[in-house]
Amino acid sequence: MSVFISALGFGVVTAAILAISAVGFTLQFSVTNVFNLAFGSVMTLSGFVAYWLNQVGVDIWLAMLAAAICGGLISVAINELLYEPFIRHGVNLFGMVIITISVGLIFDHGLQAVVGPSFFSYNAPAGKALHFADFVLTRQELAIIAIAAALTAVVQGALQYTRLGKAMRGLAVNPALARACGVPTRSVIALAWFVSGALAGIGGVALFLDISTFTATTGSEFLIVIIAAAVLGGVGSPRGAVLGALVVGVVTEVGGAYWNPQLKDVLAFSVMIVVLLVRPQGLFAQLANERAVAR
Amino acid sequence: MLDGVSAGYGGHEIVHNVSIEITPGRIDCVVGPNGAGKSTLLRAITRDAELLAGRIWLQGTEISQTPGNRLVSRGLAWVPQLDDVFNTLTVRENLELGGFLLPRRRVAARIEEMLELFPLLSRLTARVAGRLSGGERKLLAIARALMPSPSALLLDEPTAGLSPEMTNLVLRDQIPRLSESGVAVLLVEQRAIEAIEISARVHVMVSGAVRTSREAQELRGDWDELTRLFLGEE
Repeated sequence: MSVFISALGFGVVTAAILAISAVGFTLQFSVTNVFNLAFGSVMTLSGFVAYWLNQVGVDIWLAMLAAAICGGLISVAINELLYEPFIRHGVNLFGMVIITISVGLIFDHGLQAVVGPSFFSYNAPAGKALHFADFVLTRQELAIIAIAAALTAVVQGALQYTRLGKAMRGLAVNPALARACGVPTRSVIALAWFVSGALAGIGGVALFLDISTFTATTGSEFLIVIIAAAVLGGVGSPRGAVLGALVVGVVTEVGGAYWNPQLKDVLAFSVMIVVLLVRPQGLFAQLANERAVAR
Repeated sequence: MLDGVSAGYGGHEIVHNVSIEITPGRIDCVVGPNGAGKSTLLRAITRDAELLAGRIWLQGTEISQTPGNRLVSRGLAWVPQLDDVFNTLTVRENLELGGFLLPRRRVAARIEEMLELFPLLSRLTARVAGRLSGGERKLLAIARALMPSPSALLLDEPTAGLSPEMTNLVLRDQIPRLSESGVAVLLVEQRAIEAIEISARVHVMVSGAVRTSREAQELRGDWDELTRLFLGEE
């Protein structure tokens, strides 16, 4: 029982990191229909911004905030400078995927050329371990869970109840009609990229804190699990992404603890495939595949 | 309002040199066979097709170069033939987005006005638009377009795919009432006879050009003449 409970604790932490990132990934996708595989690179880049700040003595939580802003700006810049020209030329969904992969690789290898192939870690103590029966979590892990819960609730609430959130959801399903209603579509798309990048930044720092050592490609390696969580939840649905993150996070950690930690990813994708066999549209359906890239 | 408009897609001209003037409180209908360019004409006004030549005016202001998302603030509303609602949003949220440019405190009151105008929608406010019937959906689309109190309304085949009862409700009941309230309506319609019955002026479009523009009265009852025009005979 205690193995199960402590693995569950790890699972919830992994789920928290996955949830932050998967919500960012899926929010931007639902609005723009660009399946942005450079998302992991934005996580890494922002994670390194936090690392450099942390090295000069900035507290890691403050550095996380800076990483969020940087991630948001990088994300907007990638869209405006690199993706937009292709979208304007009418490149289709599949073409855009190839372009985002290329951008991700350029960023990862560019960063590696700068920082080298070594391992890095933040200067941030994990804090006192807190025991709840067999459940052991450090203060740092608790903080990550709290941040994930707060961020996903804020994003979901904003989408559901604010005028801008509704405009974003409207733009996601019918860009032409959103324009006809007077929604400034370009600004709303830019905002979606910013929020997505900011969540990538926070997710990146949380991930690097959790796994304690990281390299210039760690974000991209983790991306595939984020996509599993997003797809499991139904791509385009932030609520689904949170649920997908919980399933993937808990199943991989609990399964890994009982079976073989090396097979965590095998478990994650097996779960995803089984769920998609039963519910091809994901846990929360949203028809995104019929749409073209939003402009 | 439309002055010598030519329009199309990717530089390919589909609509040639069309001039139509619409007036508040009047319905103008554009009828014509399939593929005549009727929808492209409307899409040129809304910036969804390319305006290749000509100018478009609305209440004395030229809107030929106005970006699509600024047209609504100039008083132009548009109900497309397909994809006319936000499928995943509720009826109320659709109306709220229709009023995106209204001052926040006006929105709720305006939604109530719309629900009074379209009582069928009032018990459906919490329903997701994608789950409405064809007729309910079209009424929502029209209500959404009316939210900002436009001065001109473009309707692209509002009865396409509707049941006969719903066609009646939309075409004979709702649209004439809108025009009576002072909105200038430009109606593109496949059901030519029904459209002509409710319109003041008729523009017959064939092969991308307006063949003739006449008072609807002149054409009513003279369906042979209409058939001749549809077939492109002079």
